[in-house]
Amino acid sequence: MAPGALDSSAVNGNNGDIAQLAHGFENLFCNRCSEGFGVNDQVVNSSGQVWHSDCFVCAQCFQPFPDGIYFEFEGRKYCEHDFHVLYAPCCGKCNEFIVGRVIKAMNASWHPECFRCELCDKMLADIGFLRNAGRALCRECNEREKAAGAGRYVCHKCHAMIEDGQHIKFRGDTYHPYHFKCKRCNIELTTDSREVGGELYCLRCHDTMGIPICGACHRPVEERVVTALGKHWHVEHFVCSVCEKPFLGHRHYERRGLAFCEAHYHKQFGNICFKCGDPCGGEVFQALQKCWCIKCFGCSFCDKKMDQKTKFYEFDMKPACKRCYDRFPVELKKRISESLKDRDAEESRRRSMSPGTKNAV
Amino acid sequence: MGKEKKNEPIAEVDYVDRNVVNIKSVPHVWDNQALTRLSLAHNKLTEIPPDIADLVNLEILSLWNNQITELPTSISTMSRLKILNIGMNRLSVLPRGFGSFPSLEILDLTYNNLSEKSLPGNFFFISTLRALYLGDNDFEMLPGDVRNLTNLQILVLRDNDLLMMPRELGDLQKLRELHLQGNRLTTLPPEFGALDLVSTKSVLRLQHNPWVPAIQEQLDARGCQGVWEYIRSENYKYFYGRQEVSNTPVPPKRNKDRKISRQTAKTTC
Repeated sequence: MAPGALDSSAVNGNNGDIAQLAHGFENLFCNRCSEGFGVNDQVVNSSGQVWHSDCFVCAQCFQPFPDGIYFEFEGRKYCEHDFHVLYAPCCGKCNEFIVGRVIKAMNASWHPECFRCELCDKMLADIGFLRNAGRALCRECNEREKAAGAGRYVCHKCHAMIEDGQHIKFRGDTYHPYHFKCKRCNIELTTDSREVGGELYCLRCHDTMGIPICGACHRPVEERVVTALGKHWHVEHFVCSVCEKPFLGHRHYERRGLAFCEAHYHKQFGNICFKCGDPCGGEVFQALQKCWCIKCFGCSFCDKKMDQKTKFYEFDMKPACKRCYDRFPVELKKRISESLKDRDAEESRRRSMSPGTKNAV
Repeated sequence: MGKEKKNEPIAEVDYVDRNVVNIKSVPHVWDNQALTRLSLAHNKLTEIPPDIADLVNLEILSLWNNQITELPTSISTMSRLKILNIGMNRLSVLPRGFGSFPSLEILDLTYNNLSEKSLPGNFFFISTLRALYLGDNDFEMLPGDVRNLTNLQILVLRDNDLLMMPRELGDLQKLRELHLQGNRLTTLPPEFGALDLVSTKSVLRLQHNPWVPAIQEQLDARGCQGVWEYIRSENYKYFYGRQEVSNTPVPPKRNKDRKISRQTAKTTC
């Protein structure tokens, strides 16, 4: 990674050498200052280029290279320190520069010996790793974590696992509660916090905000609320007053401040079909102080089916079709019409006798 | 009826007003086990054969307006029968064991010639009975056994010859309809005050009886509501206790010679 760095040898001229070199001095120029060399000048020679020994320094700190060791990058030479500062990656674990092999993983660089499984400390450089909730794990530890973490929540903010029961839900996602503050009192939240209208509140603030109270258990209703009988209810607490099964959104009947399922309402309040004896489901035909299923309504005498539009006669408070009534014996019809006349006369007499209605009549 | 497919069992038969004399001639009835409803109203049947009990699935049977004088003993073994209408016939007696119907809910015996003497011993043991229609018959009294009809909601005794009502009727808590008009009643047992017969869902008919003046006055002034409040009073209990001892003259029967259930009986005699 780092450009290859080799020792340069400081060349101390001895006489013979100098003599040998002397004749070529006019052609030598320092690679840095481009000046020529005096006879007594020390010359540094490195890979075919020459410097005054004072010019052979780090491009960053202008100091001689300690122990003659330098690092070259894009034609410039740096001492080890400055080269690292400028160009070498830092290890995500020990914060030291990385020289040599660099492991790039989890958005950071690592010494091979520093990049280890967070759980078992095994080196991962050569065996590979798996990401698990923001951690690098070896294959074995990842499997183990996955099994143990099934059903546990991961915080959508810090991506770490959340201890059992320590999560809160916010806009459908799970979080550590301590990432948030109460919208109203600004206190750091705990698992007791509540979401109302897309904002999070501590329990104290939440309970002072006019949350509906369940008519059955007298506790606040925080999720779906049912409003019926002039009260609020937890969905699962709004039940038939007879069988105590929750309606869960199914049709219910209200009577005398109580709620009933269809079957128990009819059982309780007498929408029992006069003919079949069962509760009249759906539409009910009511007449003569009785109820009928639509399909059951008919003449009580010949059993002919009738509907709401069929003309019928009352006989002993039972419906008689026209044919059956017409075929009543003459003497019976006479008695019926006489008793009807009597009933009318009686009613009008009683009405005129009752003091409250006297003026109105 | 003729349009129905031959292979499909026929569950309901209406054979009304067809001048049928012999019930065996009615099609789709005999050896039809699937039959649940049979109406033979307005015919000329005079008797019902014992085989009627072979219609084991029959739930509703109407024999309204025939000329039946007698029923077979087997009829009460029809285990599914819920509604039986034998009104407007010529019955003066019911067969032995008539009260053993296991499922009967509505029994209509209107306009026959029945009296307390016509009833078999177990008549009031049909505990499933919801409605009993005995209007236009000849009852002079109703047996106290009526208390066994614990599910009875409707009792019609209109136009009989009743002289008094049994106090046991006051035990029938489900009773919501009581028709007593056109009898010879002078008083009612104070126990009737326990019955819920004057609410908006109830029917109570008391007219055309020779009531003692105190009851008649209430009936005239405030209707059934007034009568019921009166018989619930301590005053009335005291009055009724004394009334029972004293022997008031028996009111006369109404002339029923014009009833058709009588007329034909006469001519056949």
